[in-house]
Amino acid sequence: MVAENSTPHLHSAVEPRQTLRRRLDILARAAMPSLFIVLVAVLLSAPFGIPGQPELQFGIAMCTVWFWAFSRPKSMPAWAVFLCGLSVELFSFGPPGAVLLSLLVIYGVAHHWRYGLSRLGFVSCWLIFSFFAALASFFQWALVCVHAFALLSPAPGLFQAALTIGIYPSLTALFVWGRRTFANPDQA
Amino acid sequence: MFSIHTRQVLARAALPVLILLAVALVLLGLVRRPVVDGVRLRATDILAPAYQALVYPQMRVQEWLVDLRGATDLAKENARLRDENRALRHWYDVAVALAAENGRLKNSLHWIPESAPQYVTGRVTRDDGGPYSRAVLLDVGSGHQVHTGDVALDSAGLLGRVTEIGPHTVRVLLINDDASRIPVTLAASRGDAIMAGDDTDTPRLIYYPQDHHPIEGERVETRGQSAMPAGLPIGTVHYLAPNRPVVMPDADLRRLDIVRVFDYGDDGGQAPDAPGRVKVRRPTAEPTLPGGLPFPRLPGLPESLGKGGQ
Repeated sequence: MVAENSTPHLHSAVEPRQTLRRRLDILARAAMPSLFIVLVAVLLSAPFGIPGQPELQFGIAMCTVWFWAFSRPKSMPAWAVFLCGLSVELFSFGPPGAVLLSLLVIYGVAHHWRYGLSRLGFVSCWLIFSFFAALASFFQWALVCVHAFALLSPAPGLFQAALTIGIYPSLTALFVWGRRTFANPDQA
Repeated sequence: MFSIHTRQVLARAALPVLILLAVALVLLGLVRRPVVDGVRLRATDILAPAYQALVYPQMRVQEWLVDLRGATDLAKENARLRDENRALRHWYDVAVALAAENGRLKNSLHWIPESAPQYVTGRVTRDDGGPYSRAVLLDVGSGHQVHTGDVALDSAGLLGRVTEIGPHTVRVLLINDDASRIPVTLAASRGDAIMAGDDTDTPRLIYYPQDHHPIEGERVETRGQSAMPAGLPIGTVHYLAPNRPVVMPDADLRRLDIVRVFDYGDDGGQAPDAPGRVKVRRPTAEPTLPGGLPFPRLPGLPESLGKGGQ
């Protein structure tokens, strides 16, 4: 089922007292996915010289939004996706708005289908995500072509889509662990 | 504060509103791209010290690795350096002799000396390309005098041109970006061509004379148009395939560190107005001459001074 009530054993009749420290803890755990995207956007815009840095920036943001939108929507509300998208836009130099729109669309899809997606297995989720990642890369490529008034080579877009699809399993492993532990507000 | 119903409506309306805002940003990017790029440049300006701090450990480790590699074969390296030093000393003597001769010849030709260009040196703050473009951001400090169109060089050759300017940071579009077109001259065949970037490491040569193909291995220099002076080294010609000449750039476009931005002034190459092509503006009112002369205008005087003949 949907992971909003993934830890029902913790909802006992005796709730811990709502101290300021506990509230901050809950807030930090809930904001973990968004903070992850912003941190990755800033880190990957630094001149490390790692090949594929801008593609990774896009890919990690897409994977994070997709996973949290269907597995714990409370940790990834629409306005948080918007702010994350804006921060990625700010620290990249692609066509303006392409990443932001892609993130919002993939969020809409994942959020709308969250009940169905949580019932599906990992591979099916991955396949659906792959389709939308490819679509987003295509959209970005089309927008760059419009900006340049020329038909550019689609190879960088294909590489970006492949990288996004390729890093999804390893990021999912991290997020599944995080959802249970450090990014779980119920554990506060 | 709100009823449950209102909150549900708000929650449903949030995503479409945000998507509309994103579409507005896409449209803003299409219509007013410099506005968006200006905001991004400002963000980079603010983060420039943080970038330096982030990259600092990586730079130190790379320096240690170079030192370590050097320490493993000191004797061999010493011998190689001694040989190189000897060769360099020979070339130094040649260069000094040539410079003296060049000075003498220029003197006897009454050569007008070219003005020394102003330049600033900056460190690459970040690679700023993205999948579809090749550009870097340079940290040139506050109070710089860099203009759009200034020329960026590293120690080996031409890198690109300045496209955007922030308070501390400037953006340099590299020569291998898809939008880059630079007029070049081929040193040996003296043919002209356009060097067009295509997002690979080797920009293509296009529009060269069909009876005068570029020669494999010849030097490629700038031709000297608009703000770019002639004779800046770019690289060498190489044929990837028959009829597909590319330029192998001297500058290491993948690993840029210290970059100099030169301001050659953009009115250096302006041609004077061609005679016969300037529209002569007739004076609106006849000038009245003092002294009550019988004719309205002196007969020998041209109609408008300093405008060129018809």
